[in-house]
Amino acid sequence: MILRMLRQSWRRNPRRKLLSIATVFLAASLLSALMLVSIDIGDQMAREMKSYGANILMLPAEQAALPSLGDGEDNPLAGQSSLDESELPNIMDIFWRNNIAGFAPLLSGEVKLDDGLAVKVVGTFFDKRLTVPDEDDYHTGQRTISPFWHVQGEWPDDEKDEALAGSALARAHGWRAGMELTVGGAPLRIAGLLTSGGEEEDALVVPLRLAQQWLDMPGKIQAVRVSALTVPENDLSKRALRDPDSLDAETYDLWYCTAYVSSIAHQLEEAVSGSIARPIWQVAASEGVIIEKIQSLLIMATCAALLAAAMGIASLMTSVLMERSREIGLMKALGAHDWQASLLFYAEAILGSLAGGLLGCLAGWGLARVIGWQLFDEPLRFSWIVAPCVLLISVFIAVAGTWFPARRIARLYPVEVLHGRA
Amino acid sequence: MKKDMANAIAVETRQVGKKFGSVTALDGIDIRVGSGEFVALMGASGSGKTTLMNILTCLDTASSGEVWLDGVNAATLDEEGRREFRARHIGLVFQQFHLIPYLNALENVMLAQHYHSVVDQPSARAALELVGMEHRLEHLPSQLSGGEQQRVCIARALVNRPPIIFADEPTGNLDEENENRVLDIFEKLHAQGHTIVMVTHNPVLGHRAERIVYLQHGRIVDAPEAISATARQTNGSRAFAMAASESARP
Repeated sequence: MILRMLRQSWRRNPRRKLLSIATVFLAASLLSALMLVSIDIGDQMAREMKSYGANILMLPAEQAALPSLGDGEDNPLAGQSSLDESELPNIMDIFWRNNIAGFAPLLSGEVKLDDGLAVKVVGTFFDKRLTVPDEDDYHTGQRTISPFWHVQGEWPDDEKDEALAGSALARAHGWRAGMELTVGGAPLRIAGLLTSGGEEEDALVVPLRLAQQWLDMPGKIQAVRVSALTVPENDLSKRALRDPDSLDAETYDLWYCTAYVSSIAHQLEEAVSGSIARPIWQVAASEGVIIEKIQSLLIMATCAALLAAAMGIASLMTSVLMERSREIGLMKALGAHDWQASLLFYAEAILGSLAGGLLGCLAGWGLARVIGWQLFDEPLRFSWIVAPCVLLISVFIAVAGTWFPARRIARLYPVEVLHGRA
Repeated sequence: MKKDMANAIAVETRQVGKKFGSVTALDGIDIRVGSGEFVALMGASGSGKTTLMNILTCLDTASSGEVWLDGVNAATLDEEGRREFRARHIGLVFQQFHLIPYLNALENVMLAQHYHSVVDQPSARAALELVGMEHRLEHLPSQLSGGEQQRVCIARALVNRPPIIFADEPTGNLDEENENRVLDIFEKLHAQGHTIVMVTHNPVLGHRAERIVYLQHGRIVDAPEAISATARQTNGSRAFAMAASESARP
């Protein structure tokens, strides 16, 4: 009979139900959109934050132990020890390889041009095609990891004798894009002028193979800048960074299988022999802090939406109760238990919340796509976990919103409502 | 709890009183309704007849006294006991029908079965046939006239075969034609042996009952005083005339 009552109530008195569905729908849309954004914002923001540059620097272990590393931490040019270029593809074979946005090796030194001018050269990858496991056409280099590099002219081709002249160096010597220099009797074309805000502005940035040839260091590199998508650091990652051996097996696995910058750095050290990988904290930490703050903001907005929805449902159910108090009074006069009268309203609320929640999921997905396009120029991914979560939460807010009115149902005296005194 | 005379007496009140704060609504009411009797409770507005009806139907409790219904002292029942007693022993007919608006006639009758025990569609149909509503089974209350809605309400009261049927101003919202149809049904039920207690302020209706109990200011009074007060309130010379003639009966 209760099912028949529910069916007939929905079929013949749909106005209030549609209102209840609309309330849950709005809340569920907002909720699912915020959840989708919360889930994906970490990755999206991490990608956006890659414009800050690499967040891990790999160095030869011996060199990293030195107290001073030349002109700066990310320019360790003075040491004798080096890493093997041939091991670079191993970077794309670590557990978190899909989180490696890109990397670029560095080899620096001083070279005399044929006109007698001694200049600092930096060998690196610009957009180098590499053979790596599981990827057929993998390109990496400064174009990927240093989006903040501003090139006036063209980016050099890694396979040609082309270079970027640092803007300060070019200005000092009157160099322009398209000019040709001569090094060791071979022409070197300046493809573009580089403004990076860093020490590269005083150097000639060339393909790695040219630097290796000029510095007589075939197959060697001095550092690797790695850009990785990471999750915000926490106590576990900081403890692991201090001393991974202090973790027990289970905690170690948890740390190792989470994309902390420290665990990725640890895996990079394992991949490239003789290397030590250090997070560049001014980048890694600020990424983590910003993402964490955005996620906190979204969680607060989600909680506010939930509270508003629960209050909306409570208000709606209270008005439904007032409207249908005689119906409840009649049921009780005919012998209905309090729970039987309440059950009808709970069931109506749950059905409405499921319908509203389901529609809200779809609308929320659409909303998240719009937000993705607006903020990141690509749609946010749909996480299936959101659907059951939103449905469960929709049912929860409907039940919570019905709880107070249901308590009133229990207190309702049939004699009062049937005679219009309540 | 069962009384020895349960078979003979369907309703009995002993010194029933009801107070709302300092206001005394009922004062020392003693009524006896035999099994199979058709009794009308009459009185002017404010006489206490609806308050008494609420107590007799276990929708309310007395402040004092005993209320014996079908051999059970309802004054000793708690809320749950009164709920169950209503479901099993009492048929209710309301002035305002109180039908669920989104259920059709048949479903409204089945609702009483649902809260009583189990739904039995053929019995619900039979109850509606008894009140001449077999052609309106699938109609919603909004598609029925006032008289038809009241007949559905009576069918709902009958469907669980309760020992006592209480009707509170059952024709208060009906025209004369429908009033007569409803009263015909009550007389038919009475003839079949049902115990009926009907509240009304209309002397014409009251005199269709087997016996009238008059209430005034919360007390049972002799007929002439009460009926004259009631008659003065009743519109229409026909009602007044019938009331006057009845009051003259020995």
